[in-house]
Amino acid sequence: MSRVDGQSIISVGIDIGTSTTKFIVSHLKYAKVSSHFSLPRYEIVERKIVYESPMYSTPLKEKRDEIDLKTLAGWLEEQYKKAGVNVSEVKSGAVIITGETATKKNAESILHYLAEKSGDFVVAIAGASLEALLAGKGSGAFLRSKEVKGTVANIDIGGGTANVALFRRGKVLGTITYHVGGRLIELDQNGEITFISSSIQPWLHSKNYQLQVKKKIGFREIQQIVQEMCKDMLNSLTGQKPIRLDDSLIHSTSFQVIPPIDEVMISGGIGQLLEKEAPKTIYDTAVYGDIGPLLAHEVVKAIENCSLKIIKATQTSRATVIGAGMQSTEISGATIHVTASRLPIRNLPIMVIELNDEQIKSGDYVYEQIEQAMIEWKQYFQGEQEIPFAIHIRGISYCSYAALKEVAKVLFSLYEKYFPRNPVLVVICENDIAKALGQLLVLQSKNKVDIISIDQVVVEQGDYIDIGETINQSMVPVVIKTLAFMKN
Amino acid sequence: MNQADIQQIVEKVMMELQTRISQQSEDKIDKDEKSFHYTAVDWLTHVPNPKFPEGIDELRKVTPARIGVWRTGTRPLTKTILKLQLDHAAAVDAVSGEVLDSLLKEFNLFTVETCYENKEVYLKRPDKGRVLTEEAVKTIQERCVKKPQVQIVVSDGLSASAIEANLRDIYPALLDSLEVNGLTQGTPFFVKGGRVACMDHIGEILQPEVLVLLIGERPGLVSANSMSAYMCYRPRKGTVESERTVISNIHSGGTHPVEAGAYIGTVLRKMIDQKASGVRLEL
Repeated sequence: MSRVDGQSIISVGIDIGTSTTKFIVSHLKYAKVSSHFSLPRYEIVERKIVYESPMYSTPLKEKRDEIDLKTLAGWLEEQYKKAGVNVSEVKSGAVIITGETATKKNAESILHYLAEKSGDFVVAIAGASLEALLAGKGSGAFLRSKEVKGTVANIDIGGGTANVALFRRGKVLGTITYHVGGRLIELDQNGEITFISSSIQPWLHSKNYQLQVKKKIGFREIQQIVQEMCKDMLNSLTGQKPIRLDDSLIHSTSFQVIPPIDEVMISGGIGQLLEKEAPKTIYDTAVYGDIGPLLAHEVVKAIENCSLKIIKATQTSRATVIGAGMQSTEISGATIHVTASRLPIRNLPIMVIELNDEQIKSGDYVYEQIEQAMIEWKQYFQGEQEIPFAIHIRGISYCSYAALKEVAKVLFSLYEKYFPRNPVLVVICENDIAKALGQLLVLQSKNKVDIISIDQVVVEQGDYIDIGETINQSMVPVVIKTLAFMKN
Repeated sequence: MNQADIQQIVEKVMMELQTRISQQSEDKIDKDEKSFHYTAVDWLTHVPNPKFPEGIDELRKVTPARIGVWRTGTRPLTKTILKLQLDHAAAVDAVSGEVLDSLLKEFNLFTVETCYENKEVYLKRPDKGRVLTEEAVKTIQERCVKKPQVQIVVSDGLSASAIEANLRDIYPALLDSLEVNGLTQGTPFFVKGGRVACMDHIGEILQPEVLVLLIGERPGLVSANSMSAYMCYRPRKGTVESERTVISNIHSGGTHPVEAGAYIGTVLRKMIDQKASGVRLEL
């Protein structure tokens, strides 16, 4: 059992971005939200930041194609000390590598290394889609969407990409990422171009802009390019231009058609630059050696031209790290069954088994349905059969104990047949039946396999889930990594 | 064609028509009597053209209360009124009904009675439902294992239909949860005309370590089939209400009976480990 500090857990967030790295420590307070007369149910009722690091230039090795792990780890160690937190006290959180840094040679190994070293249950997160989602949760757009009627878009613009997430009534509609960022073109204060990112080159070509490193550029000219970039993005966001995967400005998208947007928030480094005055000369523009300040103000103009309402974000440059540190963790239902020695368990891909009440009631097709899902899974993960995964059973809204027993029996016998070497069976239910299903599986398995059965967690095929150690002997923290809408 | 012919034809047609009509109405009555069901399809109503449909849906989803059902003038729709009357009738039926013997046999539960006499007295004199008859005491003493770790008791309480609706799901789930938690039970039985505090009398007779009583709840307009599971560590004469732990609202639309059953074992385990129940028990 985790040591619980009062009624809260310590969570950290680490965002290794294109230009800066950020770190936060937060306290997630959980409380019983059910009455004394019902089954227990807990929720995270308060998420509070207790430490924010200063912005730190992401350390890169000389060739700029690799992250300098040693320097980064040293800085983080120092930050933990400053925050007054021991790694062993950290019970949740996430490390995310965002924007262009994700393409660095050693990004993935660093991500996992840091996740392991940062606390007991700190997970590794990557991908533009997740980045957009976390930024939208950190900026306040997600919360805003619960309070208003329409659709709220969060545009998080950093150095390399603009990650857009759309929320409506507290639900995520999807994400889309554009090659729009402050550091895609770098220049000095004399107007000489010093760097052009390879990710923006195709778009520049398509628009016939002939930019070259070491050549000078005038203010009007660079302003026109940035304006065009923003116009293109907004035309796409407002549906005036259909989404095409070969669009050179689109990095990735979950949408085929973007639903109408009512309100927009701007976060990320660009969001913060909005507080400064708009640049009027090339000298003002290049104050950070890039097009950031210009981009910030042109984006706002482009949004206003589409008559979309802009809402001030509650967090700008720290939105993603705050999302990662504070919003990535959820807690499961409190009547569950777990084998404590197996936790934490990380990076489980989700296998979805779709059943319905009718099938469960009659017992028809349950066997076929489960078997088919398992056969497909085996084909998909050929040669990696030792990899543990989680089975998500969907479609049971209300069922009798006899019917549930039948499901457990079939599920276990097929699991044993197809995955005989897996020592753990992880099951995730939608509704509050995990304890009943868990005990049925325990009785079926006769202790041959460890059972973890949790509920009230929403997952989709293609997601990954991390499950932490039990809190208060009754529930587990989970982090769901939604990759479902990654269509690169 | 003469007058008589026409007359004949008209008479024939009229007769034919009459038989057809009477057949039709007979068919109709027959069909309605056999298949009259007032189901969700009939009573579900919605606000036409709401300004904020998602908002109404969200509110309706979090409560079983009759909101967003629309109106006619200042009054509810007939459908809403009928549904309310249906629910009220079900509640009345639940109180006056009896648990079928066949169900109790299915789970090997023998029946004993409290001093309730009859339903009318039962409703007026709650105290009588808390004490078992002399005969019941004798039967229990003869048939039950003394000082068991867990004693399971089922009672109709204020809703016989709660037992009918939920026992098949909650009871086997409860037995399995005892096994998973390494607990053993004594001899379970059914108490007719029981009130919650009949636990105390049974506690005196059998002295179990913990007792769990599955009892029908006072029916309401949301559900007439709601059941409670009352649990108590060493129930005895003088047990106060704060010493009981309860999971209530167990029915298909509330706390899922299979999950409640599975959770009871965990609660009982904690009661035995902590030697406490009710407000002193840490869950």
